[in-house]
Amino acid sequence: MSELKGAVVSARSGTKETIIELLEKAMDKGIFDGVIVPMKVPAGDSFAYVFVKDRSLLKESFPLPPVMFVQGAKAVSSVTRLGEGNMKIAVIMRPCEVRATIELAKLNQTNIENMTLISIDCPGVLPTSDFLSNPEKSMKQFDEAVKKLDDKIMRPVCQICDKSSMIAGDLHIGTLGAKKDTFFIISNSQKGNNVVEKLGIKLKDNLDNWHNKVKGISEEKHKKRKKAHKDLKSEVGGIDNLVETFSHCINCHNCMKACPICFCRLCYFDSDKVKHPSEDYLERAESKGSIRFLPDTTLFQMGRMMHMSHSCVSCGACEDACPMSIPVAQIFSMIADETQGLFDYISGRSLDEPVPLTVYEEEELHEVEDAND
Amino acid sequence: MERKIGVYICECGPNISEKVDIDKVIDAISSIEDISVVEKYKLLCSADGKKFLEEQIKKQGLTHLVVAACSPKEHEKTFMEVCENADINPYLLQLANIREQCAWITEDKDEATKKAIRMIRAAIGRVRYHSPLDKKEIESNPDVLVIGGGIAGIEASLQLANTDRKVYLIEKTSSLGGLVTNFEKNFLGMKPISDTIDKKIQDVKNNKNIKIFTDAEVEEVIGFFGNFEIKLKNSDEEGDPIGFNVGAIVLATGLTLFDPKNSLKYGYGEIDNIITSLEFEKMNKTGKISLKNGKPPRSVAIIHCVGRDEKGYCSEICCMYSLKFARYLKDKIPQVKVSNFYSDLCIPGKTHQKFYEQTKEKNVDLIRFTDVGITKNKDQLNINYKDENGNKKSLLVDMAILSSAVEPATDASKVAEIVGISQDEKSFFAEAHEKINPVSTSTEGIYIVGGAQGPKDISSTLIQSEAAAGKILSSLVPGRKIEPEVKVSHISESFCIGCKTCISVCSYGAITFDEAKKVSVVNEVICRGCGNCVAACPSGAASIKHFKFNQIYQELKEAVK
Amino acid sequence: MTKTLKINKSTEQGVLEFLKFLLESDKVNGVFILKKINGDEAVAYSLVANPEDLKDAVPFYPLMPVNAGKLLSRFTLKGSTKKPVVAVVKPCELRGFVELIKREQGNLENLFIISSTCGGVYPTKMSVDRTIEKNLSKYWDAVKRGESPSDLRDACRACEEFIPYMADITVDLIGKSDIDKQCTMFLNTKRGEELAKDMKGEFSEKELDRKKLDEICERRGVEKKKLFDEIDAKMKGMEGLINIFGRCIGCHGCMRVCPICYCKLCEFESPNSEYAPSDYESELGKRGAIRVPPGTIYYQLGRMTHIGISCVACGSCDDVCPVDIPISIIFKRVGESVQKLFKYVPGKDVEEKIPLITFEKEEFTEVEE
Repeated sequence: MSELKGAVVSARSGTKETIIELLEKAMDKGIFDGVIVPMKVPAGDSFAYVFVKDRSLLKESFPLPPVMFVQGAKAVSSVTRLGEGNMKIAVIMRPCEVRATIELAKLNQTNIENMTLISIDCPGVLPTSDFLSNPEKSMKQFDEAVKKLDDKIMRPVCQICDKSSMIAGDLHIGTLGAKKDTFFIISNSQKGNNVVEKLGIKLKDNLDNWHNKVKGISEEKHKKRKKAHKDLKSEVGGIDNLVETFSHCINCHNCMKACPICFCRLCYFDSDKVKHPSEDYLERAESKGSIRFLPDTTLFQMGRMMHMSHSCVSCGACEDACPMSIPVAQIFSMIADETQGLFDYISGRSLDEPVPLTVYEEEELHEVEDAND
Repeated sequence: MERKIGVYICECGPNISEKVDIDKVIDAISSIEDISVVEKYKLLCSADGKKFLEEQIKKQGLTHLVVAACSPKEHEKTFMEVCENADINPYLLQLANIREQCAWITEDKDEATKKAIRMIRAAIGRVRYHSPLDKKEIESNPDVLVIGGGIAGIEASLQLANTDRKVYLIEKTSSLGGLVTNFEKNFLGMKPISDTIDKKIQDVKNNKNIKIFTDAEVEEVIGFFGNFEIKLKNSDEEGDPIGFNVGAIVLATGLTLFDPKNSLKYGYGEIDNIITSLEFEKMNKTGKISLKNGKPPRSVAIIHCVGRDEKGYCSEICCMYSLKFARYLKDKIPQVKVSNFYSDLCIPGKTHQKFYEQTKEKNVDLIRFTDVGITKNKDQLNINYKDENGNKKSLLVDMAILSSAVEPATDASKVAEIVGISQDEKSFFAEAHEKINPVSTSTEGIYIVGGAQGPKDISSTLIQSEAAAGKILSSLVPGRKIEPEVKVSHISESFCIGCKTCISVCSYGAITFDEAKKVSVVNEVICRGCGNCVAACPSGAASIKHFKFNQIYQELKEAVK
Repeated sequence: MTKTLKINKSTEQGVLEFLKFLLESDKVNGVFILKKINGDEAVAYSLVANPEDLKDAVPFYPLMPVNAGKLLSRFTLKGSTKKPVVAVVKPCELRGFVELIKREQGNLENLFIISSTCGGVYPTKMSVDRTIEKNLSKYWDAVKRGESPSDLRDACRACEEFIPYMADITVDLIGKSDIDKQCTMFLNTKRGEELAKDMKGEFSEKELDRKKLDEICERRGVEKKKLFDEIDAKMKGMEGLINIFGRCIGCHGCMRVCPICYCKLCEFESPNSEYAPSDYESELGKRGAIRVPPGTIYYQLGRMTHIGISCVACGSCDDVCPVDIPISIIFKRVGESVQKLFKYVPGKDVEEKIPLITFEKEEFTEVEE
């Protein structure tokens, strides 16, 4: 991570409003040709990412919405999967969405050459179903919770997220530790530096207040996280517990579709490989007395976990999408900490850090080798 | 298509018939649905046995064949030929190894019979899902790439360059000849080296079949024996990259000296008049041996075994050339006092002993040490050493020559990576087998000669180069076709999402990326069917012919039922 | 008049005994049925081979975790079953299976179907917090009266096709006050008669109580009209579509659970639905801003075009939607209007070809010039 540079920005008209002003200014100066930013949908009951070219439409922007309907990395990927394009684009998302975007860039699923990724201190996100039960009320509750730094109403994985201010992109809006009516603009790259410079802002302010506030929150969350994981492990650990945990799973694969990391054109578990002739199923039923049909639900869950765990950013999109309220995000996020820990890898931390699966180390993981070797 | 599977069980003399109840096996297998025939035979690999199988296939109209016999390593090819002769695709065959993996590992006939049945069922389960595969034949390229224009590379090039093949000789520096061009004479014969090397260089330059590239380096090598695609770092006159195809590669990247700066006790680089063997050879070639102040030395110490402890091996040539140095000195400065300090003396070979004794006769002192170091003593040097009995002694001399260990050329690792071969723990290129295959590597078609393979003298180098050339000439014959691997990977264009994970894990460079379609594509000629890509592809877009998911799944299913 | 078999047990028990008989007498090698699994944690379809394992079976449980038509299609996708199997499924699941068979995605050979007149199911969410268990007696009381509890799936409350068409055996279930004591099965086909032969019970000939079923149908029709009117008001014009599908997140769960959606790789997940930056750039020039990922309504309308003709309105799509879009009613509304044009009832008759692949010389002259 490069040396962070910061500037204090006056935000008397409000954080959201100031961000929009800065984006408008950036477009006016030609720093960006377009912006990908959340906006409220016409019906007012949800938010969607919008790719804006017409600067006059920017005033509708809603950075840091109370819900994450679509994981931002998916939105970005749909624009630049097939190439970087000619437009210079600014994208404003939550840290886990920026991280997922970087993971996708490593896996050739999105091109961020011409993008400036901007993140913002994240207070968490409301579960989609809670929001939908009463959108207006939920918005008010969210704003209150943000003011009080209270995360009880957020997604379960948000409540134990220790990376809610992790900077992986080019720029970051630091609201924590900032004096009233101000926020920090923090730059993490040369690209970020250039953008801020062209906006006429000098990156020479002290970021200690932000660092300290973030450190405090992150450490507290980390403790919570460790405890939550310990409890969860005992609840779902072991094959019997696992099968029971996923017994309600109806194989709708919503989790897979909502996940930014699951990018396969045709999932292994939707492919011909899991389509067997009737004799095979009957034989299995005969040997066990009866089998659930279709079988192999836990296999799908564990298989998906194995395929994407190294890149999981613990965003929680999967859990929100699950129609059977299975705590998928909590389980997958817990295991992701461990798989990534094995390789000292943090998903989305850096574009230059290759995904562990593609790296060969001669000396590695000796602890799992045969003791007699 | 209606399947007609024939199962044939080999008695293998007493090997299988005594350990497995074959009749019981036949009973158990006959009841399986699409099995047309189950029979036993005394010895299926015999001429009669093969004829029997061929006739059976034709008579029974079989579509698939299962042979329960010995290891596929022994006879898979045999039975594949039988299939071909009987006009069924040789890949519609599956062997069940009921000898090495069954009859030979247990005395319990009951267990062996049960296992044999299970193994045959598994083979049947698999063969049902086999698809016919076609063998490919491609022309092999008889040309050869030689990397390194020293004496090893030159010799190999000369041996190889005959009428039907071309040799591409790549040399990193601007001139040919390598290390030996620095030497005045060779040890043993004490003849001028230029007699040999200059002629060889001239021969190489005159040979129409040898294309020489100096100041050149290889950038990329992909492919396999008979079909390597080479790209050089250099560009031609039009600025296009230089590339060509060859069938084999000879690595002759040579040696460099261990840097005595890495061993502080010698004072090299700190104290004047301490020079390395190579520096001495160069000085000697000018005709004048002198100290830093321009005067000839009155006494010289030649220190053997420099760097031997650090490198952990004996460099073979230094004792002999150190004796040669003694001769150089005595020839040019008759009054000079020469002392050779050695810890062990390495003088193998039929004439080396004589050379040693004759050198000693020239009044050269040979002093054995258990430890040695050099310190400054005003304008002179103190050679401080412990003798055989451990007594500390010291000798005052004007000049010290450090006979340093040899090591592989500095960019040998880079070349190894580009070419795709391994290095041993001393960083020399790894031979296929130390004793019985010292010129080949584990990669077919890539040979290592000269110092690149290990420390050796000129005559051993010439022998090795000729050996490599011999191997290439006999195995890479112009006109002889090569059959690339049939069981290769295939990536489904519809399902590949272009994440390039397969490309990162392919050890053979066999997968390229189609930028237009944004999918990975396998080069079926270069692919070796290792399966890394299949394992790494999360969506299963990659699969290996003859090792499809269903084939393995069905085999496993039957094996564990 | 249809041959019937009456067993003097509760309807559920009678059916279970019949299935036990079928397994024990080797008439079938497998029974496909809803079962309580994992120590009662959940209810899921199971393939039962051992008659002992039928003890946890709950054939008429008011839950449809997955549309069984999809499962039967998977079971016979690689070819008809070589050994006989009997499946106990709901009418819309059977119709879904029949629509798939017409598209070469399944096979009825050796696969016998037992269905019933259907009282509807609860949304799957209710199985997670065990609310269904609490409501079971209320549910069965309503079923006996031929009524639908208000918290059933919308699609079920509005369903007029609750009498199975292609079943070998139909169990008389709804609108009957004596389902706690009697089990009456209608043996509609020769296959059904063969299965029932030698089973202990009373054989006779009867008819389904058409009058009662018509009353139930009428009540359902009223509910349907209500739901249709509601959705019509919301769905008016492009604006209406944008409002109703605005919160769609493109998870495609509706597609995945739909019995009719059978494509290996959905058009809307294929490269055909991916856009290059140049496409965005030119669209942005025209519109100024584009929602990303794009194609939300395109997907919904596209899927409607592809499967609307065969939509059996089972309601699985509603249950799986994470943002509570009333997909089943939208698709039912549009689906029925298309089906009416061709006088086509999806799943009614396996021999009846899908309108898309039939050519009539004289058709839709009203839309011609």
